Amino acid sequence: MIQVQNLSVRYDETTILHDVSFNVAAGESFALVGESGSGKSTILKALARQVKPSSGAVQIGVDPQEGADRLTLARQAQMVFQDPYGSLHPRRTVDDALIEPLVVHRLPDRDQKVLDMLDAVGLPRRFRFRLPHQLSGGQRQRVAIARALMLDPPVLLLDEPTSALDVSVQAEILNLLKSLHEEKNLTFLLVTHDLPVASFLCDRLAILKSGRILELADVATLRTGNFASEYGRELFQRSVG
Amino acid sequence: MSLLSIENLRVTFPSDHGPVEVVRGLSFDLGLERLGIVGESGSGKSMTGRAIMGLIPPPGHVSADRLEFDGIDLRNLSEADMRQMRGARMSMVLQDPKFSLNPVIRIGEQIEEAMTVHSACDPGERRQRMLDALRAVRIDNPERVAKLYPHEVSGGMGQRVMIAMMVVMEPALMIADEPTSALDVSVRGQVLHILGDLVQRRGMGLILISHDLNMVARWCDRILVMFQGKIVEELGSGELYKARHPYTRGLVASLPRIDEDRTRLPVLDRGAL
Repeated sequence: MIQVQNLSVRYDETTILHDVSFNVAAGESFALVGESGSGKSTILKALARQVKPSSGAVQIGVDPQEGADRLTLARQAQMVFQDPYGSLHPRRTVDDALIEPLVVHRLPDRDQKVLDMLDAVGLPRRFRFRLPHQLSGGQRQRVAIARALMLDPPVLLLDEPTSALDVSVQAEILNLLKSLHEEKNLTFLLVTHDLPVASFLCDRLAILKSGRILELADVATLRTGNFASEYGRELFQRSVG
Repeated sequence: MSLLSIENLRVTFPSDHGPVEVVRGLSFDLGLERLGIVGESGSGKSMTGRAIMGLIPPPGHVSADRLEFDGIDLRNLSEADMRQMRGARMSMVLQDPKFSLNPVIRIGEQIEEAMTVHSACDPGERRQRMLDALRAVRIDNPERVAKLYPHEVSGGMGQRVMIAMMVVMEPALMIADEPTSALDVSVRGQVLHILGDLVQRRGMGLILISHDLNMVARWCDRILVMFQGKIVEELGSGELYKARHPYTRGLVASLPRIDEDRTRLPVLDRGAL
């Protein structure tokens, strides 16, 4: 479903990503793990067409997207950002945020779709006409997830979706993502620095350091900490304390 | 005698529906130790730190039966006396170096500022102490870093600069409000190590305010768990998993583990608390 082949990204003289390759199958949940500056968010941005690859190729979806227009690409993958406070327009209601993608893509049945989506992400329907400041952090992140799902994309790109939230709220959002993953058979690409979160939500992961993939591993390896790379074992050690 | 002694601390803010109490009758004593205060957003943990520092802005109101720091009653201090105390005898490290450092002043100058305000040492001595403070937080090349602006250093380095700024006056009490939550896991360890070292070597009392249960449990001598403005439980170091209060237990259970095999995480039932 997601193919990243020999992806490199350079800004001027600085190379952010060196020759990164991996594939994510349909319905799989894949984590990119690493510290700040390891390039994990840049991979997500390249997939979302926010940065241009200097070389290599990225692709989301089953058919090659040769000449596909922006709208078609947008329907393949949507992103959920880290900061639920920064990613919603402060003067637009929940309803505005959810309808916008439908308007842009000229899709019908907007009213019903908004109501269905509120139900799907566990937001009471009475929240529909509230503004972001009338919602808690967890509720805002539910709105952000709902907005990402409005176009029914097969892929969700998740950039640290719970790291700004309290632990009990994090648990709610992680449970929601897990349910949506199962119900809608979504493909997840999750960026996180939190190994336990990856362990809960993902099937496989890539460990990144300084713009390179050091190791691809499955979740069983993550749970035991039996990584092939020394850096992987170090990250594991730090997580267990 | 303890360094800090608090009895029945209350912080209230007025609202349309009458006064809202955000800290509701907090009492604890602090010695030369690392005390952790944990709780979720809105539990009142940051307000507690600010109340001790005398940094609750009006219309907020602070009251206490006792609020003593090193034998001094903080309740009756004038704003001018309080200002003498802050930065010199007690100081606070905030969460995010991006917002807490002045972006247009060089790092060295910012650190020296506290000394200009609080002590009468000459420029040469000021500079020496500033460089020593940077060295104390393990910045290898203090001369170079002192000349940089905040945007020219990384988050971890910025956080160390803020700590340097606090320790340069060798305060007896340091309150660190989420000092590591803007940092990477690897840098987090270093910053905690530096703080712990300072507590030990300089004989400081430290209050670490955080929402990160695991970190606080591993690192502090004692933990206070706050919920809705009150302390619901006090735990010794490493006793997090022996917590008895349903709120603490709920928080611990809702954390994903690295060897996670639960398909759903238990969610805190706030109605039952």
